[in-house]
Amino acid sequence: MEILYAILIAPFVEMGSYPDLFIQALWDGFVAGTLYGLIALGFVLIFKASGVFNFSQPILVVLAALSLVSFYKMGIPAWISVILVLIMFYVLAWLVERLILRQLVNQDGNILFMSTIGLTFIIIGAAQWIFGGVPSAMIVNELGFPNGSLEWPMFGGGVYFEMIDISAAVIAVIMIVILAVFFSKTKIGRGLRAVADDHQAALSVGISLNQIWVIVWFVAGIVALVTGIFWGARSDVSFALQIIGFKALPVLIIGGFTSIQGAIIGGLIIGLGEKIFEIYWGPLLGSGVEGWFAYVIALVFLLYRPQGLFGDKLIERV
Amino acid sequence: MSEKNSVIMEVKNINLRFGGVIAIQDVSFNIFEGEIRAIIGPNGAGKSSMLNVINGFYHPQEGEVWFNGEKRPSMEPYQIAKTGIARTFQNIALFKGMTTIENVMTGRQLKMNKNFFWQMLRYGPAIDEEVQHRRRCEEIIDFLEINHIRKTPVGSLPYGLQKRVELARALAMDPKILLLDEPMAGMNVEEKQDMSRFIIDVNEEFGTTIALIEHDMAVVMDLADRVVVLDYGKLLADGTPAEVQSNQAVIDAYLGVPH
Repeated sequence: MEILYAILIAPFVEMGSYPDLFIQALWDGFVAGTLYGLIALGFVLIFKASGVFNFSQPILVVLAALSLVSFYKMGIPAWISVILVLIMFYVLAWLVERLILRQLVNQDGNILFMSTIGLTFIIIGAAQWIFGGVPSAMIVNELGFPNGSLEWPMFGGGVYFEMIDISAAVIAVIMIVILAVFFSKTKIGRGLRAVADDHQAALSVGISLNQIWVIVWFVAGIVALVTGIFWGARSDVSFALQIIGFKALPVLIIGGFTSIQGAIIGGLIIGLGEKIFEIYWGPLLGSGVEGWFAYVIALVFLLYRPQGLFGDKLIERV
Repeated sequence: MSEKNSVIMEVKNINLRFGGVIAIQDVSFNIFEGEIRAIIGPNGAGKSSMLNVINGFYHPQEGEVWFNGEKRPSMEPYQIAKTGIARTFQNIALFKGMTTIENVMTGRQLKMNKNFFWQMLRYGPAIDEEVQHRRRCEEIIDFLEINHIRKTPVGSLPYGLQKRVELARALAMDPKILLLDEPMAGMNVEEKQDMSRFIIDVNEEFGTTIALIEHDMAVVMDLADRVVVLDYGKLLADGTPAEVQSNQAVIDAYLGVPH
């Protein structure tokens, strides 16, 4: 009985008795969720456009954060550094298309997947060689994001909103809206969906695969930069950021690999879920719930709804 | 049927090899503006390869393609699409995740050139453009009688209708030449009759030049103005259906074979 009470009732009683704590948890979960969603979006874009699961997406986040900080340390003004990183990602997108994707047109998805693993190690090696691997702090203030926090007193306590979290949430939401509109309403978006479906047919209506791939990898690079800045601000800028990148995997499993809104909603489910679970049920299980919660949820989805919430259902004609 | 017989496309001495395999050997023929030109031949005769040369999927080792009176430089398929050559595929190549209307709209892709920024904002000129292209697509959809499946994802449509959607998408490009790779393969008699009617209507109403590959001899003889016969990658005969049918080499190689 005691166990049942602890699992089923006590957490909700606690939520009700300290609503400020509950709102704080919701906010923290929401911020983490939008950032997870953003990382997942990077995967979804490339998966939609080329059917490739891009294993190198997390390392792109590291590369973005690391190069941004390194450029700044070289004495380049913060915003110029951002532009330099963007230029670097454009060049990278172009190189990936030239040297990898173009050579592998019409190859099996697994082969492309392997090539992105190779790319990951090339980037790790190159980034360590050029920028070094010493952890450093993200240059959020230098980029003009406000410091400090807002306190909002309520229910006899108070909820704290870190300014950097507010900035992260606002920018993530703006990015998501822009990307969603870009890919659903524009000619390039239609071209992207066409390329995702059938290479030959896309070529036959005059869509250039190469152009679409460069655009998509560049956009994935921009997404990596934004995620890199805000995750870098929450922890240090180091290769450990990769781990956060892989948090996108359960997000994708929940949302579906091909859906932009799936990435967002999956991100929020994981972000909110793991925060709430950690705070209210975590003590029952010892700490560190945040580390595995996402993966357990993903496992449940794999068992009961493998295509995710919004993914394309795979129907095979026999 | 063309009265003036002006040549819109000509292939000259095409040689295409894959390693040691010779797919096309020294084949030349032309296509008149406004005609229905059939390419026939037994399996492996190089028919599909020929279409792939014309639309740029294959680059022949030797030979020239002349289009609109000019020798065409080596180009990628998407560039050739821009010059006004549309095609359908033997094994339907549709965008399966999209609806019929979306598939057809991709055919207008090249004609839309408003800035993506305006498209995102759904702003004046971009909206006008979208509406104008949408109207053309609806006309084509009406024409091919696929109105009832406009909003259906094409992956779930039956085979015959998918073929028709593919034709609609190609037509949406307002092509100068329409290449059809076995437009009636795998269809029953009724569906074949429908498709033949559509091909003739397209040719007559839009004046579109059509080059098609087909196996069903009866269909080809009814449909085509002129016929090219290929066999083992070589040109066997070229002429009107009547001429080709009475050609002894063709009878030996192809017509003589009982099905």
